[in-house]
Amino acid sequence: MADNWGYVLAAYALAALAFGGYWRRLARREHELRQIIAARGARRPQTPYAS
Amino acid sequence: MTYARRAWIVLWKDLLVERRSKETLNALVFFSLLLLFVFQFTLGPDRERLTAVLPGLLWLGFVLAGLVGLGRTFLLERENDCWEGLLLAPGDKSAIYVGKLAANLVLMGLVEALVLALFTVFFNVDLGPALGGLVPVLALGTLGLAAAGTLFAAMTAHVRARELLFPVLLLPAQVPVLLGTVKATEALLAGAPLGTVGHWLQLLAAADAVYLVVGVLTFEFLLEG
Amino acid sequence: MLTQTLGWIAAVAVIAGVAVALGVAPREATQGNVQRIMYLHVPSVWVAYLAFVVTAVASAVYLRNRAAATDRLAHATTEVGVLFLGVNIATGSIWGKPTWGTWWAWDARLTSVSIVFILFLGALLLRRATEDPERAARSAAVLAIFGALNIYLVHQSVNWWRTLHQPPSLLKAGPAAMPGAILAPLLINFLALGLLAAYFVTRRVRVLAAEAEALA
Repeated sequence: MADNWGYVLAAYALAALAFGGYWRRLARREHELRQIIAARGARRPQTPYAS
Repeated sequence: MTYARRAWIVLWKDLLVERRSKETLNALVFFSLLLLFVFQFTLGPDRERLTAVLPGLLWLGFVLAGLVGLGRTFLLERENDCWEGLLLAPGDKSAIYVGKLAANLVLMGLVEALVLALFTVFFNVDLGPALGGLVPVLALGTLGLAAAGTLFAAMTAHVRARELLFPVLLLPAQVPVLLGTVKATEALLAGAPLGTVGHWLQLLAAADAVYLVVGVLTFEFLLEG
Repeated sequence: MLTQTLGWIAAVAVIAGVAVALGVAPREATQGNVQRIMYLHVPSVWVAYLAFVVTAVASAVYLRNRAAATDRLAHATTEVGVLFLGVNIATGSIWGKPTWGTWWAWDARLTSVSIVFILFLGALLLRRATEDPERAARSAAVLAIFGALNIYLVHQSVNWWRTLHQPPSLLKAGPAAMPGAILAPLLINFLALGLLAAYFVTRRVRVLAAEAEALA
């Protein structure tokens, strides 16, 4: 029966995938957003006055 | 104008509209008939299986009908651009919740009575001896279903996929009520006295209390904007 | 950066926790090494429910003060809670296969947790489906409060449903009394996963704030 180590590793691998995947999604989204904000900052016109 | 009067006005308005158009009631009646036929087609010939699953079927019928009916709670206001009317109503907005809840209770009560009657007739079930115990179970279960359903209807009123999201949100939230009612009904139909299902009744009462309190306290937040 | 430091601490804690769970903790007498899944399975539901408590409190506070930051906290903890609960359910299923013989059994805990999972997943769906962000925040807050209060009712009703009709062959998934050799790794992993969840929440809140700024 090999003491079911396969199941243990499967469970931990699944958790690693889930948590790792979530971490990657957060990292990617943050990167994306930083680019958008940076691009917007560069494109913003130099008018200091509202009217 | 007192709180109770405002709730009563909402209730009366909804019932009046329903009495004239009979839209929701018709839909629910035909839906119940349809369920009856489907259950008969799948389980009719097998008497034993039918009596075994009858409590579940009964409440499945109530819940499914409830989903159809409860989901339409604010349909009139949305379709006829009357949402702002609700917003502008004076005083504590939870009176609207209570009024809508009462209207839903009346509607569901009618449908449940109908479904029970149909079941008794078409499935030849004798509900007589159990009826005394069934009434409080029905009352508590329906209250739980309607209390949460009315609140969730307001929650999903402005969602595009309302028809899809409303049941998805309501059904898992109703698990305690479903379990309580089905288990209690099961025991009662098997002849057990009401005392033996006391713990389920307590659970139902607790659930009802929680849902009502949350509903009354949070409804106004759903009504804004 | 606070978030990054937290992230590193969490990473170290998680590695330590896994090492303890797989190496240091003793081999359990009746189940064998497969019991080690418990060190992942049980702490994740504790962490998830803790997250949902924060969600409920943050939701109530949000309805009071309407601060966007409070809503972001509620949103993030809902997401992270759902994540950890999902891991709990999946690892529970994996644990169940060798011990119960099936991938799924309608035992009280798995059933209750699955319902709570769907409840809070629904809150995320509601946020996504509501177009106006302010209304989405309010609706999700109400649903979260409702859901959190419902957690106890769900567990209680499902418990009665299962224990009053207990099939005799059903194995109990967790040990009734907890010897120290098992409790310590459990608590260590609880701390590790808790830190990981805190890191995720912090980072998610940051992303939500950035989203609000970028898409404004």
